[in-house]
Amino acid sequence: MNKPDILAGSCLSKHYGNIEAVKGVSLSVAEAEFVCLTGKSGSGKTTLLSLLSGLENPTAGHVRLAGKDITGATEDELALFRREHVGFIFQSFNLIPTLSAWENVALPLFPVKMSDVERRRRATELLRKMELGDRIHHRPAALSGGEKQRVAIARALVNHPRILFADEPTGNLDSVTGGIILEILKNLHRKEGVAILMITHDEEIAKTADRVTRMHDGEVIS
Amino acid sequence: MKFITWGVAMNLRFLKNELYGHKRRTLSTIVGLSIGVAILIIVNALSLAYRQAARAPLQEIGADITVQRSGNVPKDLTGAVFPCSAVTIRDEEITRISALPGVVGIGKAVLLWVFDPHRAWIVLGIEQQNSVGPAVLRNAVTEGRFLGPDRAEALVETAYARRFGIKVGDTLSLADRRLTVVGLLDASKAAKIAIANVYVALAEAQSLAASSRKVQSVSPFDPQDVNLVFIRADQTKVPALSSALRTMLGKQAAIGTPDSFLKLLGSVYAISDKFTVVASLIALLVSALIAFKTMAGNIAERAREIGVLKAVGWTGRNVMSQIMAESLVQGVMGGLLGFAVAVIVAVGLSFMTVNIPIPWEMSPVPHFLPGGGDQLFKTLALPIHIPWTLAAFAMLLSLVIGVVTGGLLIGTVSRIKPSEVLRHE
Repeated sequence: MNKPDILAGSCLSKHYGNIEAVKGVSLSVAEAEFVCLTGKSGSGKTTLLSLLSGLENPTAGHVRLAGKDITGATEDELALFRREHVGFIFQSFNLIPTLSAWENVALPLFPVKMSDVERRRRATELLRKMELGDRIHHRPAALSGGEKQRVAIARALVNHPRILFADEPTGNLDSVTGGIILEILKNLHRKEGVAILMITHDEEIAKTADRVTRMHDGEVIS
Repeated sequence: MKFITWGVAMNLRFLKNELYGHKRRTLSTIVGLSIGVAILIIVNALSLAYRQAARAPLQEIGADITVQRSGNVPKDLTGAVFPCSAVTIRDEEITRISALPGVVGIGKAVLLWVFDPHRAWIVLGIEQQNSVGPAVLRNAVTEGRFLGPDRAEALVETAYARRFGIKVGDTLSLADRRLTVVGLLDASKAAKIAIANVYVALAEAQSLAASSRKVQSVSPFDPQDVNLVFIRADQTKVPALSSALRTMLGKQAAIGTPDSFLKLLGSVYAISDKFTVVASLIALLVSALIAFKTMAGNIAERAREIGVLKAVGWTGRNVMSQIMAESLVQGVMGGLLGFAVAVIVAVGLSFMTVNIPIPWEMSPVPHFLPGGGDQLFKTLALPIHIPWTLAAFAMLLSLVIGVVTGGLLIGTVSRIKPSEVLRHE
C-alpha cells in the first residue's frame, strides 16, 4: 500500500527578477521516504528545497507539507510551521559558535514555552544518540567536522520533525565521516520513519536513497 | 507561569552567551556608550562644580548678591573717604531693594578708607547681628570678643594687628575718634569680600562717613545710608534681581552675583552653558554612532546566524526580541560603566583647587598701600559631585540609545531571509 505524501509540491516556479530559478516543478515525498535531489550547481536544487521546506514562498505553484497548504503563508506562520514539522541539516553545519553543543541542539526550542530542564533533557538525549555524550558542553570550535554535523542532525531532530531537509550534509566532510553521517540519516529513515529530502552532488550517495530526482536548468529531468 | 519564567531564563542564556561570546564586539559597544555617558556626566558635573564654586565667596558671607555704586574719590586723600567703588546707597533705596521679589534678607555695611597723618586704615562698619553680610565675621574672632553695643569699640584684622603690634585692649585713634580694640579677627578664614583692617559698629562707620567733609564732597551721605549692600535671595530669582537692581540703581551700580564671579573664572565650563550643552550633545552623538556602527556590524556579521534562527523556527518577533534584549543590556552596561568612569574622574577632579578672582571693587585696597595692587583669590577645592538626577539621566540616555539603535536595526534583521542561509551553502 502506498504511503501518503508528507510533502507535495506542484507546478512550483520561482523568479528572481528576470531569472527563473525553478520552472514549474512538481515533486512529492511520501511519509518515511528517502528522496535525493541531484543536479549540477545552478540547476535550482537549493531553490526547490527552499520552496518545499517553507523557507520561502514560490512565485507560482503550491506546497502541501504535513497535510497543510503552506503556499502564501506569512514568514512568521512559516517559521512556526517549520518549528513544528521540519528539520534542517546544512552543508556548513550552521551551528551558533557561542553556544555549547546541547544549547545548539536546543536552539529551535528556545522560543518554545518549555522548562530549561526539559530542553536540556531532550538535547542531551539526542546528543547521546549521536554518540556525543562526552561533547555536550563543547562549543562548535572544539568539535570536529563530523561531530558538528552530528550536533546539527540532533538539532534537526529536537522538535520531532516528520521530514528532514538536508542540503549537501556530507559536502564539507571527508569520505569516512561523510559515510558515518549518511549512515545516521539512513538509520533515522529506516528505524524512525523520518522522511528525508536530501540534496547531493554525489551519485553514489544518491543511489542509497529510495528515489532520486534529477534537476537541470530549474526543471526536473528524471 | 513557571514555564514562561524558564523560557525567559533560556533566552537569557542565549543572550549571555552571545554577548560574552563576542567580547570584542560587545565591549566596543559598551565602551562607546560609556565614553559618551562619562563625558556627558563629567562635563555637566564640572559645569555645576564651577557654578557652585562661583557662589562660594558670596555664600561665605551669607549673601547671593552684593550691591555697590561707583563714584569719585576726592583729590585730597585725608580723613575718612569712600573708595571709588563704593559710594552712597541711600536708606530709601535699601527699602526699595528689600521690597523686590526674591529678596530674602538684607545686610548692610559701610566701607571707608581713613587716612590719618601717620597711617591709612581700611575700615568696615558692620552690623552686630545679621546672618547676611559681614556680621557673619563674628565667627572669625580669634582673640577677645566681637563688637558689643558700645560704639567706641573696634576689631582689628589679625595680620594687620601683628604687623603694627596692636593688641586687645589697645586704643586706636581713627579720624580723631578713639576706639578700644576688643578683639582680633582672622579675615583670611573669612570671605575675601569687603575685607578691612579695622571693623567697627555700623553706626560708628555711618557717623564717621556722615561727618566727613571729603565723603560729603563727592557723595552726599546721611547717617542711615550705607555704601555696601548684601542680599540673600531666592536662587532662582538672582538673574532677575540683578537686572532689577541695575535698573533701580542706575549704570553706576556694580552688582556682584555668582554669574559675575563665574565670568571672571574664564574657564570654558564657566564661560557658557552652551559649551556644556554642545559638548554633551557631541558626546552623545559620537557614542550613539559608535553603538550603531558596532551593532550594525554585528547584525551584518550575524546575518547567517539570524537566518539559521529563522530557519529552525524562530519568528521575526523572537529574533527581534533577542536583538533588542542584546541592545538593551549593552545600553544598560554602557550606562553603568560610563557612570563608574565618571565617578572615578570626579573623585580625581575633586583634588583640584579652583581660584576664584575677587574683583578689586569688592575688596578695595588703595593701590599705594601694601598689597593694594594684588589680585585677591578665593581658593577652594573644586566642589564636584554627580547629582543622582544627572547620573540617572545619562544612564537612561544610554539605555535609550541602545534601544533606539536596536530598533533601527530591526528593519535590517527582518530583511534577512532564512532561505538566504541556504544560498550561501
